[in-house]
Amino acid sequence: MTMISKLKSMAVKSPWIYRINAGSCNGCDVEMATTALIPRYDVERLGCQYCGSPRHADIVLISGPLTRGVVDAALKVFAEIPDPKVTVAVGVCPISGGIFRESYAILAPIDQYFPVDVNVPGCPPRPQAIIEGIAQAVAIWRDRL
Amino acid sequence: MNFLSLFARNLIEGPYTDPFPFKPAPTAKRFRGKIAFDPVTCEACRQCERVCPAGAIRFTRTKDGLEFDCWHDSCVFCGNCEFHCPTGAIHQTVDWHLAHGQADKFSAVEHGLIPFKVCPSCGGKALDSAPATAGITPALSAEEAGELRALCPKCRAKFIKARRTRT
Repeated sequence: MTMISKLKSMAVKSPWIYRINAGSCNGCDVEMATTALIPRYDVERLGCQYCGSPRHADIVLISGPLTRGVVDAALKVFAEIPDPKVTVAVGVCPISGGIFRESYAILAPIDQYFPVDVNVPGCPPRPQAIIEGIAQAVAIWRDRL
Repeated sequence: MNFLSLFARNLIEGPYTDPFPFKPAPTAKRFRGKIAFDPVTCEACRQCERVCPAGAIRFTRTKDGLEFDCWHDSCVFCGNCEFHCPTGAIHQTVDWHLAHGQADKFSAVEHGLIPFKVCPSCGGKALDSAPATAGITPALSAEEAGELRALCPKCRAKFIKARRTRT
């Protein structure tokens, strides 16, 4: 057992992050960009980096209430992310629907479609809250490796 | 020379990056975060439930009294409830540590209970909510406020009417 955990700790690499905008208003996307790009918050200290292709990703951040127009594309992209992956729902929209709840145009909460692991509520959540959620996601991801 | 002053400042002050996941992050005093509810000062007017744009606040009448629930996963931190609350029973704290795992999704709730009491004047069952004292002149003394609080809504109206005729 200790051998396996030792091997695990040796094999640990940096998780890469991918964003899916499932019909978000862009508020949460701006905060996620802020989290990565501005030296004040700097999510790369946790070893994370945003990547352009879903095939390179380990942690996926989903924002938005999953509008009907985007659901097929979002599921297709999500299926391309290799396992083990950790899903983080950013903002209140994917978690519960927020102010759009019970609208005919959205399919929130998204946990009916995606296996969500961590929820980061907020409208939008502040960058530190997103970093907190990513830190929890990294812990889950380390377990799954 | 500009470069030298920048260099000296960076040497003294260190990096600009927030040390957050490893140390606590600075938070503004007026930050609009997690909702906190105080059942003792609540008037049970349910104005917060009405103004909540996300439908995060819900009052339910149970056999124990009136239960207040605010689901943090639906709250958009707009501050409408705090703005419209006549007694300040509901307010926003500066706490923003709301990230949680999927297992805790439905337990991320601020809960409060306004219990039932028995009115000492008429013996009826009524909610133990704070009385609406905003329009009453002259202002109530501490004893009068306590007396008014113990009563049921009908007896409260009688109490205020009697007080008005007295003064």
